[in-house]
Amino acid sequence: MEQISYTNPQSDLNAIFAALADPTRRAILSRLAQGQASVNEIASPFKMSQPAVSRHLKVLERAGLIERDVDQQRRPAKLKAEKMAMAVDWLTDFKAFWGKSFDQLDDVLASMKQAQMKETNNE
Amino acid sequence: MSELPEYVFDRVFDAPREMVWRAWTDPNILQRWYGPGVETTIHKFDLKPGGMWLNEMKWGGNSNYQKVVFKEVTQPSKLVWHHYSSTDADWNNAPNPNMPDWPALLLTTVTLEEVGDKTNVRLSQVPMDAPDAEITCFAAAMGNMSKGWGSGYAILDEIFAELQAAQGGK
Repeated sequence: MEQISYTNPQSDLNAIFAALADPTRRAILSRLAQGQASVNEIASPFKMSQPAVSRHLKVLERAGLIERDVDQQRRPAKLKAEKMAMAVDWLTDFKAFWGKSFDQLDDVLASMKQAQMKETNNE
Repeated sequence: MSELPEYVFDRVFDAPREMVWRAWTDPNILQRWYGPGVETTIHKFDLKPGGMWLNEMKWGGNSNYQKVVFKEVTQPSKLVWHHYSSTDADWNNAPNPNMPDWPALLLTTVTLEEVGDKTNVRLSQVPMDAPDAEITCFAAAMGNMSKGWGSGYAILDEIFAELQAAQGGK
């Protein structure tokens, strides 16, 4: 099955955050979390024109957060959660970098103190 | 963007400052704790202004390489360095494979301050010579951008809560 994709092959955090910054697009993602939907189906609860919804979908698609099926005429949009998970994982790793490293530094300092105490006792 | 986003991390360690300084500046000790749950190898560590720290971190069969150039070394209270976030195996600057807009260069300042018989470590990172895209990316990741759309984390948390609720509801 062929998919139309404007997706940047590299996970681009900027695009993902920019896409998620808009409340309408977050609502669209929530809707798609319940299953794929056509532009019509997505537009109905938002009191929004189809072209406006299409523009939002394009932003989400460029960020790699959704994909659209070209085989079917109504081109339903579908969530691609793995892209988002990737960005979150990476961010979590970075956020954790210093916290976890400093935990390890705590342990290292404790063992340094212990070694020093032993030395002092042996003197 | 006029204001540069700054990442600041403060932590008090239950050890005298001289000992904390040693843990930061003796490569054999540094590589024991630097990097979360990864195998860190320090290939070069030349602690003086202009000197380099060449660092390799291994996890999941991959190696990540970073290059540090020391700018200020003031024992036992302050280290300032230029942190090149991503290099190739020959220590040439290379784009970050995971996050192309991540700042290539971070000005890093480590300050050790005595608090009684303990030591406060303040780590600060600010993007250097960064294009707007890198500054935006860093600010988003740090979640400390006061203007605009605020913390990226809050947004992601919200999305994940919604996704989980939707999945659980099936």
